[in-house]
Amino acid sequence: MKRKNNKFNKRPQNPLNKLSLFQKSDSRFSKKCPLSGKDAPVIDYKNIKLLKRYVSDTDKIMPSRITSVSQNKQRKLTSEIKKAKILGLI
Amino acid sequence: MNFYEHTLIAKQDLSTSELNLVEKKYTDIIAKTDGKVIKVEKWGLLSFAKKIRSYKKGFYIHYKFEAQNKTLEEIKKNSVIDNSLLRHLTVRYKKLDTETEYFKESNEKKK
Repeated sequence: MKRKNNKFNKRPQNPLNKLSLFQKSDSRFSKKCPLSGKDAPVIDYKNIKLLKRYVSDTDKIMPSRITSVSQNKQRKLTSEIKKAKILGLI
Repeated sequence: MNFYEHTLIAKQDLSTSELNLVEKKYTDIIAKTDGKVIKVEKWGLLSFAKKIRSYKKGFYIHYKFEAQNKTLEEIKKNSVIDNSLLRHLTVRYKKLDTETEYFKESNEKKK
């Protein structure tokens, strides 16, 4: 079943800007998943630089609706972030 | 036989000789139980994001090895009892990536 989230798709999203939930800017950004496709970065619990981008200031995992990560990669991300948290890296 | 990665966090107040003993202990365990150590990485002293048992920093030792279920049980048994360790984590992989080292740069900067 396809989810109808047209409401969110209309809104421009910048994956790097954590405030984009609250700010409606007119500039358009790509809605493509930043973690899939060719030469995408490897999602791994050792790659803290990448994981830190998808964690909020209070150490919560960012929702994919803000970061525009695909469902499959989001599942991977959460599991890797949790592993990094066990080791005290994040 | 499967590929695994195992990471240890040893306490900060250990001397270098004690650290070497800890490292050697687990390589021996893997070797004894028909495992094969592929690579050992020392990430050095890293600071935690949050305090773990009132420690702020710890020594990280990272193993990449090929083994069976038997070794995993043995490692878990030992590291739960081990007083010099704070935490440990084992992850199973289909393919091991031995080339990229994420923590190498940070070590060189400190020196």
